[in-house]
Amino acid sequence: MALSLRGGRNSESRPSIPTASTGDIAFLILIFFMSTSMFAKEKGLKIVLPEKGEATKIKAENILTVAVNPTGQVLVGDQVVNIPDVRELIVKRLAENKELAIALRVSRRAPYNTMIQVFDELKLAKAERISLMPVLTEEATGAP
Amino acid sequence: MRKIAGKKHTAPDIPTASTGDIAFLLIIFFLVGTTFRAGQGLKVVLPEAQSTERILKRRNVQSIWVDKTGRISVNDNLVAASGVTSILSEKVIDNPDVVVVLQADRDVSYGYVTDVLEALKDARALKVTFATGYRMGGGG
Repeated sequence: MALSLRGGRNSESRPSIPTASTGDIAFLILIFFMSTSMFAKEKGLKIVLPEKGEATKIKAENILTVAVNPTGQVLVGDQVVNIPDVRELIVKRLAENKELAIALRVSRRAPYNTMIQVFDELKLAKAERISLMPVLTEEATGAP
Repeated sequence: MRKIAGKKHTAPDIPTASTGDIAFLLIIFFLVGTTFRAGQGLKVVLPEAQSTERILKRRNVQSIWVDKTGRISVNDNLVAASGVTSILSEKVIDNPDVVVVLQADRDVSYGYVTDVLEALKDARALKVTFATGYRMGGGG
């Protein structure tokens, strides 16, 4: 026995755990995870809703109503504006009055896409205080 | 010199000991970078906006789908706007930091969206994100 071990010294056979396949195993798991999972692509426009019954009093002169009517027309104050021009107008109004809060009042029949485009413009104009006015009945879409 | 080297039996080979480590590193990357889909939701075409932001805390996300015809889906269940309140108020109790992602179709009437928003206010789920695709600036 001892002799045969001594003879084996020539080929230098040390005991070892075979590690050649760990890479293959790991890649198998990797492919499994790659095929079963997907990157979360959650992104969007953030807003914090006001709490129910928590009415913050804002002076009437500090409120600017931006309205979208059922045909998708946009009114800033009582002036009809094209959507790409909203940003410029809001920036101008914000420069005049830093306290300005914007009330976004969108008709129930207006397309959601139009509302998002207007909301995007408000965000791009760096408007901090935006609130979404709930319109419960269709009669309420006009000027306040 | 030559004789000793010959005795050591050095076969030329590429070191493979680290491939496992590399692969595990990639696994960890994919585990952290991905989430399993909680629900399929409804088929919607999202609107696009330039000021789209990423949602960082993905663990707190609860999606609500509103499709073109105004159907509302939460956790793979079709519900009415009042159902949104009951499901979400439980969610808010479990996790007060829940962020609701509203995946609404770009062609839906805003009335359906505002109903969902009112339901979310009732459920005190106040952090809302309108899911949008990113649009490059320039034209506007």
